[in-house]
Amino acid sequence: MSVNWFGFGFNGFGQIDPQRKDEQKDIRVLRPVVLDSLCTCAQTFSRTGLSPEQKTEIQKVVASWSRSAVIHISGGELRGVCVHGAESGVLVSESEGCEDALLTESFLTLRFTHTVKCWSLHRNSRELVWSEELNTTEKTGNALQLPLVPGGYIGSKPPFFRPLSPHLQAVSLALGTEHAVLLTASGTVYTWGHGSHGQLGHGTLVSGDEPRAVEALWGVPMKSVAAGGWHSACISAGGDLYVWGWNESGQIGLPSKGLREESQREEESIEKDKLKGNTSDVFISIQAFPALVDVSEASEINKVSCGSRHTAAITSTGDLYTWGWGLYGQLGHGSRCSSDEPKIVDFFSDGRMSVEDVVCGLWNTFVSAVPRDRVPS
Amino acid sequence: MAHVWGDVMAVLPVTETEFPLVFSEVVEPSVLAMLELSRKELYSSFSSYCIEKAQVIIDYSWEKLNTGTWRDVDKEWRRVYSYGCLFKAVGTCHGEASQDKVQAAIKTCDMGLLMGASIMDNVLQRLIGVLKNKVKIPSKVEDSEQPYPKKLRKEFILKPIINPALSVQRVRCPALESFRSEFLEPKMPVILEGTIEHWPAFREHTWSIEYLRAVAGCRTVPVELGSRYTDEEWSQKLLTVNEFIDRYIMGQGEAATGYLAQHQLFDQVPELKEDIRIPDYCCLGEGDEDDITINAWIGPGGTISPLHQDPEQNFLAQVVGRKYIRLYSPEEREKLYPHQSELLHNTSQVDVENPDVVQFPDFLKASYQECVLEPGEVLFIPKQHWHYVRSLELSFSVSFWWS
Repeated sequence: MSVNWFGFGFNGFGQIDPQRKDEQKDIRVLRPVVLDSLCTCAQTFSRTGLSPEQKTEIQKVVASWSRSAVIHISGGELRGVCVHGAESGVLVSESEGCEDALLTESFLTLRFTHTVKCWSLHRNSRELVWSEELNTTEKTGNALQLPLVPGGYIGSKPPFFRPLSPHLQAVSLALGTEHAVLLTASGTVYTWGHGSHGQLGHGTLVSGDEPRAVEALWGVPMKSVAAGGWHSACISAGGDLYVWGWNESGQIGLPSKGLREESQREEESIEKDKLKGNTSDVFISIQAFPALVDVSEASEINKVSCGSRHTAAITSTGDLYTWGWGLYGQLGHGSRCSSDEPKIVDFFSDGRMSVEDVVCGLWNTFVSAVPRDRVPS
Repeated sequence: MAHVWGDVMAVLPVTETEFPLVFSEVVEPSVLAMLELSRKELYSSFSSYCIEKAQVIIDYSWEKLNTGTWRDVDKEWRRVYSYGCLFKAVGTCHGEASQDKVQAAIKTCDMGLLMGASIMDNVLQRLIGVLKNKVKIPSKVEDSEQPYPKKLRKEFILKPIINPALSVQRVRCPALESFRSEFLEPKMPVILEGTIEHWPAFREHTWSIEYLRAVAGCRTVPVELGSRYTDEEWSQKLLTVNEFIDRYIMGQGEAATGYLAQHQLFDQVPELKEDIRIPDYCCLGEGDEDDITINAWIGPGGTISPLHQDPEQNFLAQVVGRKYIRLYSPEEREKLYPHQSELLHNTSQVDVENPDVVQFPDFLKASYQECVLEPGEVLFIPKQHWHYVRSLELSFSVSFWWS
């Protein structure tokens, strides 16, 4: 099956499309572009003698503000990470055999079968700053995805390892700018960290250092969680999407006052009176409890990811919807417009592609998609 | 407008190499790279391209300014924000700088002054100084064609009746020592007469709407909307002084009350600072003159500051219009029903002039003093004294917080 990875949004460091880096105007990629064809990783792998004949495929993409990191599979087993963007360099030798990656503005974390390693990303060099053997005897072992590791998780700055109570039975963890959203084996959602914009979902603006269950979601088992700059999201086992936190750019998917005033100003200047997005008079600035967001009437939600101020979700029918801040093209709608209403990214639906995975960077979005005719219906 | 670009560049260092970009390691290398790129474009023939990079810098540092609590934000991010505003403002003036562009550049500089930190010997302030002279002031003919009515917004203002037994004592120019022993130390409110009439604000630069327009009309300031900050509907908005005057003082059918309140306008507009003087009595405090916080309070009749207390001594100087003020000593706290929440625990829940005596039965038992503060008078509000303030007409006041 031919899977393609695409990227759109902030490209100020060439982290989506390196070719455009030096052209003055293209700090934005407004429509999805394929990562594969533009990425020179394949050649780099051949140069270093890693399976020159075999086609490398992308297994996963992670992103920070100024960089993206691509985990490659070659011949089904060899793996390596390639970093694009600010002071890009390819981590071939060190990353060989890595299974998962985590990228922040200052650190790159790679998980191997038995170890986790952290490099600090300086201007012209990288330095191994932390490394730890994994206790893989535990049952959960390698099924865990970063930032989770056996016994705890990897934070965005030193000390990198933070323990988590085994009673939580964490199966998934999403780290926002300054808050965390955790999913347990039983489908309960816990949050902690900074709460000033309602991102913890407890109905208050209070912060908390200890994981606390989001009571409003009790009784509704969840299957997936996501965290953005100041907002959070989760999907129920039944495919319903819940979002909460700051709605400054419409990232919650509820009417945003700031957005409406901005679009009104623009409309005045271009003499149009068509209103985009929600048309209600009631505006939501902060949604401190989880809100059920209707993305598409027809289908359930399979995956969700949050950028610093935008949100992207995939339906069970393989459609991608995005909403929130759009100034850098991170919504993929071909414009710089923000939207406080989920909107389908027609590049994929019109192109007869089914979207399989989505990962938001702070100001950009990465998705994998397959041609529709190859998907068994 | 051909001179705009040259005059703007004259504010900056002559060459790129003389332009400093030095930050602590809190600022990531990627951000520094973007700053350097923006600087490079500023000095190249592509100056207009630097706007996009500048916007990236503004957006990224804005996110940092909104991360964690405001007081914990590293000052370096406020500096980065100011650099972003500087690059954007200068880039905006490139080429044919229209009136709209000059106005937009001033607004960008003001955003840097409001949210950023001082950089390069206050370059944003210096840049505004240059740009302000490029803004066309409407001539008399155009003036008469202005769409807004020349009359002040009419409000139904309740005139208070002051009970003489409760009125705040008035004293004319007391000596420093007698002010200390009779009022400061015993924490007694008092109205000082004859201490500010020498301010230029009362003389050669008589404060008025027209004067405010002339000195600061194009400047962007935060305006509070809603009659009191405890209201559900209360919000803040950034407007130019001209917009504020047109909408909320001259009244163009805006329902809400707009109040340019608790804003350090005198740091933002140095010309206005020339019109006032720090009261001599502030030297009785322990702090430096630089530690005194000077705020402007400008609004139509009917603005209300709910009953609250502040952690510093306060001189409230009345320049234009009158204000009704009610004062309660800190001992009365229990009877004033402060809000429970951390954010509002220094604010009473009671609507002072229309109290809900069922919900707040003890409020009427609290003893108080009251006054109508007239132009030229200064009210001394001792530290932690509860005060309620309502403007009776168009009002310009200046407060000095000192310790």
